[in-house]
Amino acid sequence: MDEVNPAVATFIQEAQELLEGLEALLLDLEGAAAPEQVDAVFRALHTIKGSGSMFGFTALARFTHHFEDAFDRVREGRLAVDPRLIDLSLRARDHMMALLACGGDGPEAAALEASGEAAHLLAALAEITGAVPAPAAAGQPARAAAPGALRRWRVRFRPEADALKNGMRPDLLMAELSALGRAEIRLDLSAVPPLDRLVPDESCLAWDVALETDQPRAAIEAVFIFADDAELAIEEMAPAGSAATARTAATAPPPGGAPARPRAAEGESVRVAATRLDEIMDQLGELVIAQARLQQIAQASDNPLLETMVEETERLVIGLRDSTLSIRMLPIEVVFGKFRRVVRDLSAELGKDVALVTEGGATEIDKTVIDRLSEPLVHMIRNSMDHGIEPAGARRALGKPERGTLRLSAWQEGGEVLIAIEDDGAGLDAEAIRTKAVERGLIAPDAQPSAAELYQLIFAPGFSTARALSSVSGRGVGMDAVRTTVDALRGAVEVASTPGQGTRVTLRLPVTLAIIDGLLVRLGTSVFVIPLAAVEECVELDSAERHRESGRTMLCIREHLVPFLDLDEVFGRPPSAEPRRRIVIVKADGQRLGLVVDDILGQNQTVIKTLSVYHREVAGLAGATILGDGAVALIIDVATLARAAAAARDVAQRPAA
Amino acid sequence: MTATPQTTARPDMMLIFRLSGEAFAIPVGCVHEILDPIPMAPVPNAPAFAPALVNVRGTIAPLIDIRQRLRMPAATPGPAARLIVLELPVLGTSTRLAILGDAVEEVIEVDLAALEPVPDLGARWPEQYVQGIARHGDGLVILLNPQTLFQPDTLSGADRSAVA
Repeated sequence: MDEVNPAVATFIQEAQELLEGLEALLLDLEGAAAPEQVDAVFRALHTIKGSGSMFGFTALARFTHHFEDAFDRVREGRLAVDPRLIDLSLRARDHMMALLACGGDGPEAAALEASGEAAHLLAALAEITGAVPAPAAAGQPARAAAPGALRRWRVRFRPEADALKNGMRPDLLMAELSALGRAEIRLDLSAVPPLDRLVPDESCLAWDVALETDQPRAAIEAVFIFADDAELAIEEMAPAGSAATARTAATAPPPGGAPARPRAAEGESVRVAATRLDEIMDQLGELVIAQARLQQIAQASDNPLLETMVEETERLVIGLRDSTLSIRMLPIEVVFGKFRRVVRDLSAELGKDVALVTEGGATEIDKTVIDRLSEPLVHMIRNSMDHGIEPAGARRALGKPERGTLRLSAWQEGGEVLIAIEDDGAGLDAEAIRTKAVERGLIAPDAQPSAAELYQLIFAPGFSTARALSSVSGRGVGMDAVRTTVDALRGAVEVASTPGQGTRVTLRLPVTLAIIDGLLVRLGTSVFVIPLAAVEECVELDSAERHRESGRTMLCIREHLVPFLDLDEVFGRPPSAEPRRRIVIVKADGQRLGLVVDDILGQNQTVIKTLSVYHREVAGLAGATILGDGAVALIIDVATLARAAAAARDVAQRPAA
Repeated sequence: MTATPQTTARPDMMLIFRLSGEAFAIPVGCVHEILDPIPMAPVPNAPAFAPALVNVRGTIAPLIDIRQRLRMPAATPGPAARLIVLELPVLGTSTRLAILGDAVEEVIEVDLAALEPVPDLGARWPEQYVQGIARHGDGLVILLNPQTLFQPDTLSGADRSAVA
């Protein structure tokens, strides 16, 4: 296949979603096995099997067949749902995911099919279903049903006119049918119109098949399960001349209530590739910039008619921006759902019984943020389960419930989404962190940091307080990865911990990454943007303050001491000669900090453009944007700026100390 | 003043531009457009090799100082100076970037098989940035290597201007 057939791409995506849903279903089943859920599992497997063989994923279909058999038995009440079945099912589901990832039949899929894992899973499935393990004969769908006597069938199949457009592959169906036994296939061309009336993408063929097989009627019906709009007749032929006991089905009924069209259930929604959304967002960004330029021109022109028009377009652009942003929003449940499996697997691995409680899954957050959130959250969950929650024995001794609880919650506050991971474990050991930090040279031996400052140290690179390294965490690489990701998303991490009662880590993340409200400031002739979300207030810089030679760089604002940084100094610019300067008070990493600038130009809605590889590593910059007059302005990343300045000051002080 | 991107350009077609009197050549295939100089925004604490950003029709492109790369002294752009906008892969991502030439001259065909290496002590330019030397008319044309010339320094410490 030169390019991916859109129908195949849709199948892959749908199968992926089904498998993701399947994981949740299986975990639900483990709690309480409701018949609807068993049915849902069966349906998901059945759909994947059917469409898999139709779209050239026969290895996937063959494997799924055995898995489906097991759930057919559960549905019939012949097999009970027990932890063993769930374990096996989860592993089988992972195997299906791997087969799906091969992108169809080929050497990769064949290797997977021949792997030890596949053999193990098939043997285990055969054991619980009581079937004889199928020989791993490629190309031959192994039917679990016991072989019966040879019977002869006549099958007539005429796909609906649109079938080919919808991705049906009659050739594969015929191949599957032939695999059931000895088939004589005759193509019926009678409905093909003359050439001048032929519509090339419509199907007008029919097949007549005489099939001799030991398989039951259901096996034949199963071949056509997804061709439910087609005309299908299956008749048993008289063996050796005796009267036919014909059973005719005008159209194939969907056996087992299989969902014929999963799409129909989703109502009025459209599936759009994420890249298209990104394109719209880019174009919208340019529109916002063009709008800002237009506004500037209108203000200079003194033409009331133009100004009215510009106001009107501004209103429209803002509306368009809001609706575009809302399209990109996804409920955070998408990420939370993945963690049930993580917690289940880790519970088994660590031998700790942990319940996962999630709250606020409906909270919406930008897709870009969601995509990058999984990994840091997994690190935090691992840390909580490995280091936070104590083993059952220790918990019992402390009078805590043996079962630990991990609470994952999300909620929105203004332009930020907060995600908290809370455990009821031992809490952070401030003294151990302190010892380790001194050992690693992160703090001076005589330093007296507050508990909150100590807790922040767990995010330092290479920091780990676990006494023994486990395979799960404790290598000290996890938490700094959390910090890096959160920084890149322009968010913040807060830690709260009570010894003996647990730890709560809160991530603060912006709702969207594409557009921010910014404060425009000037330094010399350059313009910079400070994200408005970080700005607390703006004050005048007293000229006395500027010429202080004592080295004092702090202000007293309403009885609070606030340190300040001269941006000229931080950015390596020549000192400003402006007589009146101003300070923008921002909040960085939970601390108030003043940034000294030449002037404040106003507010602006800013489209963030990421920096190229040449500038991505420059501390203190979050991106760049284009202003109304076409000039480029850099966006300041307050958190990394503050950290870089603190690090620079430490370096400057070290030789003197 | 604008050249449309030539995706079908042959590999031996080169754009000639001048830096301090010397003729340098880059493959036409990676040239996106040529513009009159536009205002640029200096990036604080940036590597000296990529000192600023420019707005090329709504795209923010880094300005690469190839004089710095080739160990040539800095110069103020004259009236003939042009911004050459390139589009080429940098670390695997297609990147739009701009360089400043004292003047842009012509597109010539270079016989790649007849390239001569720079003799030892023949120039101060780091050799990895030069593909070879071609003869054109009476003069020499220095063929730059766009693969190495625009490679960001991973060990940027040495290249980075002093930080506060």
